[in-house]
Amino acid sequence: MVRSLPLFTALIALIMSAASELQGAEMVWSGLVIAQNAAQPQLIPPELTRIERPLKGLFGYNQFQVIGQSRKALKTGQEDWLATSKFFGLHVDARGESEAGYVLNLKLYKEKELLLETDAKLSKRSPLIIKGPQVGSGQLLLVLVVQ
Amino acid sequence: MKTFEEKWTAWLDGQLSGLELTQFETSLPDKAAAEAEKAEAKKLGALLKRELVGSVLTNEDFFSHQLRERIARESTQPPREQDVKGSTSWTIRRLLWTGTASLAVFLVFAVFVMRDKNPAEQSQYLSQILNARVDPVVSPNATISMFEAKEDRVTVLWTEGLQSLPADYAAK
Repeated sequence: MVRSLPLFTALIALIMSAASELQGAEMVWSGLVIAQNAAQPQLIPPELTRIERPLKGLFGYNQFQVIGQSRKALKTGQEDWLATSKFFGLHVDARGESEAGYVLNLKLYKEKELLLETDAKLSKRSPLIIKGPQVGSGQLLLVLVVQ
Repeated sequence: MKTFEEKWTAWLDGQLSGLELTQFETSLPDKAAAEAEKAEAKKLGALLKRELVGSVLTNEDFFSHQLRERIARESTQPPREQDVKGSTSWTIRRLLWTGTASLAVFLVFAVFVMRDKNPAEQSQYLSQILNARVDPVVSPNATISMFEAKEDRVTVLWTEGLQSLPADYAAK
């Protein structure tokens, strides 16, 4: 019993460190979404199910289509990535992680033209929605969610 | 007139004397065996005296009085239920005290933890827009505002007046 105590302690420490590492790597989903009103709206994409109510309530559209997306696992909080559609590009540059979430620099490009830039703190519990330009009869939205 | 046994006992105890002693000793059939028996009896007596010393009670009367009273009490009265109840209620009282004390300790810790956690949680609760800018050349009339839909835990950066684009730009 006494002999197995150090082994047991080491096992617990190993499990805890593995658990904290797993917990540390979090997935951020970033998407370019076209919101519009349709006579027969399509089902909302699964990535947006969690925020369907605020999307519909705040923007007044009944259909949401993902035209570009990226899913990035953040380990150091210093990664950067790009979510693109045919004409738009959302560049996300993570600039550190805190207990509250990630500090991100976001740049929305239309082809090579910078339309919008913002710095935001993305909470692990709270999605971020950015209203972009009007596109046809719809609206471009940028959505970031920690999954 | 003493019997032989009485004289024998008295002789063993050394209480015969004079003529009576002489007459008794001459009546013994085997004086040597009798002397040996007397010596054994003396030894036994000494041993008993040495070993069987009773414990000395200093307040014998008090203790015997107490004992007698208790025996009398117990023999006249049936065993009281109160004694049993008394021990049970003491346990319940102790349980109540323990429960109350535990609750108090929990409340103290809860208050401290909640007080420390609340401000931090408030800031962790929602995402925040730190700053935002648009290209004034491309969208000169653009305005930016931000708000938090706390019910839905959503933070929104709301732009107005960005350059509108044709529907083709919605392509994947």
